[in-house]
Amino acid sequence: MEPAEAEFLAEKELVTIVPNFSLDRIHLIGGDLGPFNPGLPVEVPVWLAINLKQRQKCRLIPPEWMDVEKLGEIRDQERKEDTFTLMPSPYYMELTKLLLNYASDNIPKADEIRTLVKDTWDTRIAKLRLSADSFVRQQEAHAKLDNLTLMEINTAGTFLTQALDHMYKLRTNLQPGESAHSQDF
Amino acid sequence: MRVGAQPLAGGFGGMAAAGGEGTEGDSDGGSEELVLTPAQLIHSLEQAWLNEKFAPELLESKPEIIECVVEQLDHMEENLKRAKRGDLKVSVHRMEIERIRYVLSSYLRCRLVKIEKFFPHVLEKEKSRAEGEPSILSPEEFAFAKEYMANTETYLKNVALKHMPPNLQKVSLLKSVPKPNLDSFVFLRVLERQENILVQPEMDEQRDYTIDLEEGSQHLIRYKTIAPLVASGAVQLI
Repeated sequence: MEPAEAEFLAEKELVTIVPNFSLDRIHLIGGDLGPFNPGLPVEVPVWLAINLKQRQKCRLIPPEWMDVEKLGEIRDQERKEDTFTLMPSPYYMELTKLLLNYASDNIPKADEIRTLVKDTWDTRIAKLRLSADSFVRQQEAHAKLDNLTLMEINTAGTFLTQALDHMYKLRTNLQPGESAHSQDF
Repeated sequence: MRVGAQPLAGGFGGMAAAGGEGTEGDSDGGSEELVLTPAQLIHSLEQAWLNEKFAPELLESKPEIIECVVEQLDHMEENLKRAKRGDLKVSVHRMEIERIRYVLSSYLRCRLVKIEKFFPHVLEKEKSRAEGEPSILSPEEFAFAKEYMANTETYLKNVALKHMPPNLQKVSLLKSVPKPNLDSFVFLRVLERQENILVQPEMDEQRDYTIDLEEGSQHLIRYKTIAPLVASGAVQLI
């Protein structure tokens, strides 16, 4: 899966905006979006929020977890623990990137937030690399990866699954009596 | 499967477009009609898309979902054509249509890639399918697969085989085209709790063991053991 496709899925998440126009309810195929009144906050999916922001029709309100203290705590916890901490949003990386790219003026301390999220991401990817390495080395057949987000799985995933497949093919061809399958990839 | 009637484009000058009644979809002899809201329909399209993307083999075809989605998109397009004014609403609807259309075409394209890759096995599976089992190919895909097979055979014959000595002029596509690798690893998220899923490590010294899959957890595991769970919708590939 391309990172752009993971971002596509993340864009369905809801975020609060404050519009500066008014519009009555829209009935989209995927659901209804509530009436828009200037100055009153309303929830819309991220793809719409970014588009409205680009047309200067709204102001974005950062989600409550996108705050320097909270992210600092999460980063510290991630560094302390060996396992993965539960992230406040399953799409934290994509949302951070989108919101900070298009709406950094609406988000206080945008640069600090960017650094904190990047630090947390780096720690998590390092942990993922270590556990993938031990998975392959010990030839495990199953792994539980509960608090990983889609973007992280996606970053390591394609390479990992292809590598595991190749190893499996090489190993099963070593075992005697399997030679009948040598042409079956 | 019917899509529940809902005013799809209520803002367009008072035209309350009734939700698409996809009655052509429930032609599999007496199965119960599920009424889905459009939102649930789009959600199941996305699930089917993700499953198809990550599964190593071609999954069941979902003609009902595809027909209903195409109907919804056509409905919305018609409404948009009729309502020319109201620029903001039109553009929002258009954006959503583009998003849904992207998922739909990516899904269909993914299936076509797999059909082209594994065409003899797909056709063989379809031929040997029992009466009550769901089909893995839609009628159009079946026609495409057969044509592709015929074209490949003709091509191989004209380019190479007819110049070979007479006793070597046959090629078995079933044996020479690689089979889908059902032992590949996939990531999945559990939607319904499952118990006692067998995990088979490759080395003979490690014994088979069973695990339970908790709802909401994510796993990395070989495709073969969980293939029926994907078909039934109990897990989602990611």
